[in-house]
Amino acid sequence: MHPISYFQGAILGLLQGIAEPFPISSLGHGVMLPRLLGWNIHQNDDYFLSFLVATHVATATVLLLLFLDDWKRIVRGLGRSLRDREIKSDDTDARLGWLLVVGTIPAGAIGLLFEHPLRSLFASAASAAAFLVVNGILLLTFERLRRRPPRPGDYLGDSDARIAKLSWRQAVGVGTAQAAALVPGISRSGITMGGGILFGLSNEDAARYSFLLATPIIGAAGVLKLPDLFGSAGNGVRGPALLGALGAALTTYLAVKFLLRFFQSNRLTPFGIYCIAAGLICTVIFALD
Amino acid sequence: MTKNRRLIPLAIVAGIVLIVIAIIYWAEPAGSLPSFFPGHEAGSGHHHLKHGLLAFILGIGCFVFAWFQTGPSAARSR
Repeated sequence: MHPISYFQGAILGLLQGIAEPFPISSLGHGVMLPRLLGWNIHQNDDYFLSFLVATHVATATVLLLLFLDDWKRIVRGLGRSLRDREIKSDDTDARLGWLLVVGTIPAGAIGLLFEHPLRSLFASAASAAAFLVVNGILLLTFERLRRRPPRPGDYLGDSDARIAKLSWRQAVGVGTAQAAALVPGISRSGITMGGGILFGLSNEDAARYSFLLATPIIGAAGVLKLPDLFGSAGNGVRGPALLGALGAALTTYLAVKFLLRFFQSNRLTPFGIYCIAAGLICTVIFALD
Repeated sequence: MTKNRRLIPLAIVAGIVLIVIAIIYWAEPAGSLPSFFPGHEAGSGHHHLKHGLLAFILGIGCFVFAWFQTGPSAARSR
């Protein structure tokens, strides 16, 4: 008997692929959905963590492939700057690469040290629902405090050049803030998109920055835990995990394509409203349960 | 990036210390770690691999920072 059925694996994988790039917290949804459907799956169970490894690796792989040309340029830029021992003012790829590095290190550090205690502390579906409301309020606040509204033609021109205008402090700030997503219900992509918007990026540029920033952190988290999937904790879940990973890969691809188009002319507001509504409804359901 | 050559030796020393700390985390179980190390737990045989990884990454970061400081002076960063 599989602790996660193939059907459950497929549903959770499809959900992960949508909810990871969307600013609505994949972890929060991954905690709430099993409770809503009455599935005997709990966030801190070893087999569920092993299952999540597969879906996260799939998500990171799709993100990497979708932006592969960008990553090649960025890696070449990093190499150039290391060779020259400086980041030249006209080298957008190098600057973007180092902005991603300094944005990833604090989140990675916090994740390495506090992931387990935070996951244990906020493991319940009720807490995830409450934090989903907080996430929605944050998204609406980001839009309220944004420096500039979306304008026609925002998506034209060199997006990377605009992102590379972020300062080091802003990159560290956005990078550190994404660690808040260790709490189920708070969205990593929502925090990074919101941070980008607060610092003057358009929604589309902020989304692009968020997806680039997501790739190393989600990929590293997945790869670090791969031994769990292939160890004893992965017994009985590898089949559903593979199916879930395929589902996550498919929906991540579709979600990223959709969001990059959506944010050419739209804001975070609908996601904020969804998070508040879904969080409140789930809070009531869990309270009555 | 603003260059400050006085930071180079400091960054190198910090990098070496952090790499040594990483090796200690990887080599020693939690029970054998110095008591002032985060993660020290008397009698525990658990290895804090993640703590070691973090120290290693930060150590490499210090070396990279030092490397850039040795480069030609550039315009001030924003």
